[in-house]
Amino acid sequence: MIVLNKGDIKTAFHTLRRNKARSLLTMLGVIIGVTSVVTVVSIGEGVKQQVNAQTEHLGKDLITIRPGQLLNQSVSSQLSGNDLLGNVSRVGALSNQDINTVFKTPGVASSVPLSLVTSNVISSESKRPYNALVIGTNALLPTMLHQGLEFGSFFSDNQTSVNNVIIGSHVAQVLFTENVPLGQTITILGQQFVVEGIFNDFQPAPISIDVDFNNAVFIPYTAAEQITNNDSPIYEILARPQSVNQTNLVANNIRSSLLAAHGGQHDFTVLEQSQTLAVTDNILNLLTALIGGVAAIALLVGGIGIMNVMLVSISERMHEVGIRKAVGATNRQILTQFITEAAVLSFSGGFIGVLLSLIVDICLRILTNIAPLITWQIVALAFIVSVGIGLLFGSIPALQAARKDPIEALRNE
Amino acid sequence: MPVIEMQNISKLYGFGEATTLALDEVTFSVESGEFIAIMGPSGCGKSTLMHIIGMLDRPTHGEYLLHNRHVARLSPNQAAKIRRDTIGFIFQSQNLVSRMTVLENVALPLVYKGMSLTKRLEKASRILERVGMQSREYFLPAHLSGGQVQCAAIARALVNDPQLIIADEPTGNLDSAGSRLIMELLNEVHRMGNTVIFVTHNPELTRYANRVVYMRDGEIIADEKTAIGSVASSALKNMYTIPKKTAEDDLAGVSALMQAVPQKTAIPKKSKRSQRKSAKSKRRTSQRKQKART
Repeated sequence: MIVLNKGDIKTAFHTLRRNKARSLLTMLGVIIGVTSVVTVVSIGEGVKQQVNAQTEHLGKDLITIRPGQLLNQSVSSQLSGNDLLGNVSRVGALSNQDINTVFKTPGVASSVPLSLVTSNVISSESKRPYNALVIGTNALLPTMLHQGLEFGSFFSDNQTSVNNVIIGSHVAQVLFTENVPLGQTITILGQQFVVEGIFNDFQPAPISIDVDFNNAVFIPYTAAEQITNNDSPIYEILARPQSVNQTNLVANNIRSSLLAAHGGQHDFTVLEQSQTLAVTDNILNLLTALIGGVAAIALLVGGIGIMNVMLVSISERMHEVGIRKAVGATNRQILTQFITEAAVLSFSGGFIGVLLSLIVDICLRILTNIAPLITWQIVALAFIVSVGIGLLFGSIPALQAARKDPIEALRNE
Repeated sequence: MPVIEMQNISKLYGFGEATTLALDEVTFSVESGEFIAIMGPSGCGKSTLMHIIGMLDRPTHGEYLLHNRHVARLSPNQAAKIRRDTIGFIFQSQNLVSRMTVLENVALPLVYKGMSLTKRLEKASRILERVGMQSREYFLPAHLSGGQVQCAAIARALVNDPQLIIADEPTGNLDSAGSRLIMELLNEVHRMGNTVIFVTHNPELTRYANRVVYMRDGEIIADEKTAIGSVASSALKNMYTIPKKTAEDDLAGVSALMQAVPQKTAIPKKSKRSQRKSAKSKRRTSQRKQKART
């Protein structure tokens, strides 16, 4: 068993410092590999946490109905990433009848349709078109999403066709200089709408299948139909059962009643919150696997780089090996010395990689709505893998040095 | 009691037609406390003999007893341990590891003995004081003169308290003052009871030795005990009795000049017993030698 000793580690750091540029270039592969692995995994962890938090916020009993067959649902309700990719092209549509069908399904307490209006919005202040999401919906949306308004009020049930608009916090910031732009107007498809309310910040849920409501404006469902001449496709229908325990049952009810209404055509998707999580997980796992593969290649290349530099370094220091052997170093002691050096090199690479990924994560937190989470497990794994690479790829050159005949080694000047 | 006993040691390099004979049936023994100078022209096998004595190299044939222990066929690791504990080396140049301070260099053999950092640096410092290098402890080898580097090398050779000190042309790269310094130091080491074997090209330096061995073409052709302080006669003969060149010599070529140099006939006769013992291995060696010549 090779035991790393303090003297060898000190010598290794000394060698590392003496050839700073070369050491850094050698470590580059390991640095890139470790940085990408740690960053990707931390993003995945962070996003999962965010999505979990959002799910908690929305409640487990929220049922989402979407057009198109997003997922292939097996009997056991297991979802797989392959199905997700394979079936995403199968489109369908939801109609006003479907809204009724969902509403009338036994067990459904409330339902909210969300329709999309494809248009830019122009504020009375900036006069420039802004690309916000225009959503037609009904008065139950705040209750359905468990989301309060920061200012103003949402339109009520009897205001379904008035020209009022509720805006997301981001839209409010972008379109208006005023902090509370209540009473200002927004033009959508030539029709003026009066800002009546501003939503609280929606919790961000990156890489999820939901749209960003902070960048959306909400108009009454009927108003949306009017300005688009009934050409506002339904993005989703949200529904809640009368009791949380019935969620699965009610979702199945909705599924069967919609299937009947669509003449047996399964061109829609009924998702429970747990399944929404599963979809996010699928996407994240796929992404992690892909980038993990790339990172593994970077680590491999890094390892080969270390082996290469160790070979050069050892042939440069062959005379030193000769001296060490002449004064009584055994093959094993020489082997340990050079393996330690390789391990220190790759460990330093791993350390720099982890530091870099910390910086990347801080940047991501500042610049995007992703909140990456670095766990100690991934940091430990990064260190173990990087030291392992050093040991693995350093052992070949180290063996070469250890087995060198002392006389031959001394002849190298 | 002899420290070193070598019986018919041969060393061959290369394969097939490229075989060279570096040592040819050398029989050589060293008593404890001797101070031996080994002389001879370049390529005569001095260094090879030193390497075999120092267990850096293994003989192709022959027996080698170090402290009455057969060591010619030891594994590399066993040889390393013997080198560490009983032999101190001084080479002609590049003795020290350039990235380490003098102190660390001197403490190097103790690292492999497993001594703790403080202890080994203390001991190395003591030894450096003995060779008058304590003020240079934290210098890098590049900041030292040639003589100082060799002093440090002697300190390193002594740090493990070895009985045997082997110096392969320790003064080869030094001026006369530096050479004297090193030889005085080796002389002191010898007086403290160590056995010292050194290689030199300078006959003047044989004054320090009490035995001079002259080698040629892989064989020992002269082996004499001398009084300390006088230049060995074989060294003088070889170095100073070569006649001045005349016009006739030019005509005869260099070979005429070489008549003055002792030939292989000067080899001391072997005892009958050792001759019988070596007959078998000699046959093998001569077969290989013949192959090499053809």
